[in-house]
Amino acid sequence: MTNYIEDFVYVTLVLYLLAAGCYFLGNKNKSIARTGLLIAIAGIATNLMALISRALLVSRLPITNGAEFILSFSGFTVIAYAFYELKSRNNNAGGVVLMIAAMLVGSIVTLMPEQLGDVKPLMPALKSPWLTSHVLTAIFSYGGFALAAGLAAIQLWRANSSKGEEWIYKIVAVSFVMLTVTIVLGAIWAEQAWGRYWSWDPKETWALVTWIIYAVYLHLYRQKSWKGQKSNMLVVGGFILVLFTYFGVNFLLSGLHSYGG
Amino acid sequence: MILIKKTQRFLRFMSSMKIGLSLLAVIGLLAAIGSGISTDKYYQALPFKVILGLLLLNMALCTTNQVTKFFKHGLKAEKSSQILLRQIGMMTLHAGVVFILIGGSVYSFQGESTQIKIDQGQTVDMKTIFNQTKPFMIKLDDFNIDFNADGSPSQYFSHISLVENGAVTGEKDISVNNPFEYAGIKAYQSSFGYGVELQGESNTGWKEKKTLQESEFLQIPGTDKAIRIYKYIPNFDPEYGMQSKTLRPDNPRIVYSLYQKGSLLDVGAVSFGEKVEIQPGTTVQFNGVKPFSVLTVKRDPGLSLAMAGMLMLMAGTCLTLFLKQKKTGVVQ
Repeated sequence: MTNYIEDFVYVTLVLYLLAAGCYFLGNKNKSIARTGLLIAIAGIATNLMALISRALLVSRLPITNGAEFILSFSGFTVIAYAFYELKSRNNNAGGVVLMIAAMLVGSIVTLMPEQLGDVKPLMPALKSPWLTSHVLTAIFSYGGFALAAGLAAIQLWRANSSKGEEWIYKIVAVSFVMLTVTIVLGAIWAEQAWGRYWSWDPKETWALVTWIIYAVYLHLYRQKSWKGQKSNMLVVGGFILVLFTYFGVNFLLSGLHSYGG
Repeated sequence: MILIKKTQRFLRFMSSMKIGLSLLAVIGLLAAIGSGISTDKYYQALPFKVILGLLLLNMALCTTNQVTKFFKHGLKAEKSSQILLRQIGMMTLHAGVVFILIGGSVYSFQGESTQIKIDQGQTVDMKTIFNQTKPFMIKLDDFNIDFNADGSPSQYFSHISLVENGAVTGEKDISVNNPFEYAGIKAYQSSFGYGVELQGESNTGWKEKKTLQESEFLQIPGTDKAIRIYKYIPNFDPEYGMQSKTLRPDNPRIVYSLYQKGSLLDVGAVSFGEKVEIQPGTTVQFNGVKPFSVLTVKRDPGLSLAMAGMLMLMAGTCLTLFLKQKKTGVVQ
């Protein structure tokens, strides 16, 4: 199975793209949109297969190198979306969210394909019980923010609905909790590993910037003047910051988190 | 009276959510700009600290308001336990941010951090590093690296002894992610290196054993020549040139340079025990390496406050945002 990691990744990419296409086309045709959901679920299956293969290859949870993180990120985003669609019975954002997931998987094959076969052991700084909780909460928060951004983009693009707003608020709230836990656990870990809980390392700084934009959103959400499109813009902007915290920091700025790229 | 009124008005202004969010936005913006400028000084600059100070004032006032409101109106019977818990969560999280900011300021005013290099066998008196500490010493008994099968480092260990009043009162293995803590001082594994054990002799009766650090010179007595340790390569491989293939000492070499009256004469690489002829009758050989460890040592009286703040922030955020919300339950 470990020989097929790349194949699983490519199949996942194709399935997510197909699912996104179906959702875009299925705007007025329910059966095409339902096919989109089925293809998305198949994509989740191959995404998980890729992760399981990585886990078998390196004999640990696949949450350390860049490719593993993105695969977990994309997988959780689509899982969260599938739950949302089944619960809300609304598939308007399917195309956008699946497009985001496809772009994430696409970034692996274009930016870091070698990491899929990488079997290097963990470096000493990563050998910590904090690793699992810190990265898992990061995956949950990133995935949640991706879903919220997809929903907010649809609110901006088409008509704004208060039901949609409530969903976005709930998803952002839970993801914000996860991001807070990620940052705090990271700080506790950094204190143990490097002797400083906050060093203004680029990763920390941009995680804080992301945290701030969502904190602002959560405070302003109930304010009349900010209800509607302005707060949707904050949610989309917040996710752009999430992406920058991951890709921008890993590829443009160097720092203590450099092993993540 | 006017002054008191003005102060009151200022404090009311400073306690508003608008100011808090604006300060957060400014901090976010400045922090983002700073991440492109790779200097530590940026975040230590006065204007940045002033803004953090203002945020601290805002958050402290906002938390105080929340607590007073809670005790004034919060304990009414008609409120559901969920709303109550949510309000407690909100107070906890805002108080957490206050604690973190205070903890951070305590460090920037009272804390110190530095790096110390200790040779194997050497003892360092902590009193010479931090004035305000209880007198104790750290001795580096040994430094070693555990390796993975591929030769990459798995963990770095500094085996240290705690020495008080001349007697060993404790031992500890410091490794990455596993610092040493005693009397308010913490020591972290940060880096390491090696000194080279050199032995020289000549037929004129010169005999010397010495540990030289990388890039250190030794003037050879009775000659006009000097030898300099250029580099210790633990695992030499011609493909990697002057870089060590791995940190594991599978194929160690000492790269040295030889000087005559200050000008470079020769450069070479030898294994341990291999003789280097300085001139007929005079030789130098390298018998091995002696490790040193670099520890980050820190005194942070604000650490427990900041840590408590972080846990409060985390717990308070969970409580506030995981509970089902009603539109009326918001304090602010």
